[in-house]
Amino acid sequence: MELSVNSEANLEKTHLTLGYMPLTDCLPLITALENGYFAEQGLEVELRQEVSWANIRDKVIVGHLDGAQMLAPMIMATTLGLSCLQKPMVTAFSLGLNGNALTLSVPLIEAINRYDQLNSGEALAKVVQDRKTQGKAALVIASVFPYSCHTLQLKYWLAAAGINPDTDIQLVVLPPSQMVDHLALGHIDGFIAGAPWNSVSISTGIGNCLTTSYSIWQNSPEKVFGVTADWAEENPNTHIAVIKALYKACAWLEDHRAEAASLLSSYVGIESSTLLPALSGNFAFGKTTSAVAMPDMLVFNRYLANYPFHCHAAFLIEQMARWQDLPAGVDSKALASQCYRPDIYQQALPDSPIPNEPRLSLGEHQGNWQLNTQQGGIDMGGDALCDGQVFVSS
Amino acid sequence: MSTTNVMIVDDTPERATMLETALNEHGYTVCCRLSSAQGLMKQVEVHQPDIIVIDLDSPDRDMLEHMSVLSQFNPKPVVMFAEEGDSSSIQQAIRAGVSAYIVDGFNPQRVKPILDVAIARFDEFHALRSELEDTRNKLADRKIIDRAKGLLIKSRGLTEEQSYSAMRKLAMDQSKPIVEIAKNIISVMEILDK
Repeated sequence: MELSVNSEANLEKTHLTLGYMPLTDCLPLITALENGYFAEQGLEVELRQEVSWANIRDKVIVGHLDGAQMLAPMIMATTLGLSCLQKPMVTAFSLGLNGNALTLSVPLIEAINRYDQLNSGEALAKVVQDRKTQGKAALVIASVFPYSCHTLQLKYWLAAAGINPDTDIQLVVLPPSQMVDHLALGHIDGFIAGAPWNSVSISTGIGNCLTTSYSIWQNSPEKVFGVTADWAEENPNTHIAVIKALYKACAWLEDHRAEAASLLSSYVGIESSTLLPALSGNFAFGKTTSAVAMPDMLVFNRYLANYPFHCHAAFLIEQMARWQDLPAGVDSKALASQCYRPDIYQQALPDSPIPNEPRLSLGEHQGNWQLNTQQGGIDMGGDALCDGQVFVSS
Repeated sequence: MSTTNVMIVDDTPERATMLETALNEHGYTVCCRLSSAQGLMKQVEVHQPDIIVIDLDSPDRDMLEHMSVLSQFNPKPVVMFAEEGDSSSIQQAIRAGVSAYIVDGFNPQRVKPILDVAIARFDEFHALRSELEDTRNKLADRKIIDRAKGLLIKSRGLTEEQSYSAMRKLAMDQSKPIVEIAKNIISVMEILDK
């Protein structure tokens, strides 16, 4: 079966160089390589670890990388040429859902805990207000990249709590791997980053997690497999082969969390025990607090996690527009359709569940719900937004 | 025309020095050298650079990207690549490992010569480093060969010349580097010694 796939695949290219950042959600790429799923598709893949998102983007733009793990909003930002060379980008595969968390310094958490009758956002708003009256400097919170789900989630959550992210706090950008050091040195008061960096700071007692991206936007898009539109055009069969391999990797990852932790450990140089909390969903918010079950902390394949839903792109674009990231006159709908390509996904994975109708909204489901596909109803995780809003894509 | 102020962000001091010297020779002023982007915003305010040159493989690039989208910080750095449509020069810059950010209001055309100097110096630095590594490896190889020679002299009663030509003949027969043969001899001798 696999062999006939290879010989019929007509790959335009068999040697690929793909980029990734040392984060838990680079696992689909590592797994596809290590478990031989790329090889099954007739692909010889070299994985390159990069040090910055800007680097990944630039190397994909000029073709030094065929494709890479990328931040979902980066696909749109690069297509528009926001602070980079303008290059139309596409994604036809989401690498998973969720995984980010907001970690704050222990003193700040203690200040928040004094308002124990309030929810965490309201309590932080009080602390921000207190600091203002006391004439103290604004809190400094770090994110990983200007055009990232992290930044958009942080702003969304702060705004929902009545904190203006542009004026009430100072937002800075740092590489995820440096977050913990900067927090320990007191350069920043908190950070929003993906796994495993929250666990690293929690395990060392430097910070406590206040909230997760799951609590801000349930089952939200995160990293995607990104390529330039030109590359997708020139290498359609190769693109499909990569997606098949990644899908198989994501399916494997759902049920092999412990194995995934040790596999990742050898790539990122962090102990499995620190990688496991986010991967297993048995997550402690502080060093001394006991772990709670967060089964959807990282979703690799369930809930149609890999499907590039148009409404995900549209929602991210709306959020970018909300914070004045976009130039005037951007046609959001056209941009979403240009960047997110479910048609390619469907070509690559015709036997996987495909939605019968486009999904148009986010925020209507507090708990699990059913999405109709050609294979019948598929379990989907909740998609609530923390402020109870419902987003409907036009 | 006033002089062009360049800020260098590079955690490799030797390379930063090479780059600074070269830029000075070409009539540019290096107003500030940082080993990391920490405190960058303050330094930009103090030194008012026209262009920031940074090592492509610096994890601080994302921080610079962020500065480029913040409007409340003045001057506002803009990625040079956004202005530079010529993709071959971008390819060249990326291959050499250098990225540059121009500060708002600075003529992008004037970035090119600065970047050319930076690219040349980055390339030169890579060449120097690999040459150094080469020399280091050769030295290590020579030590291994000398040790094997010594063992042969001691155990077989060969002269230095005889033991060397014996190894060279083996190397040629097996089409392997002589250092490989020397390593094999050493490991065999070590087993026999035990």
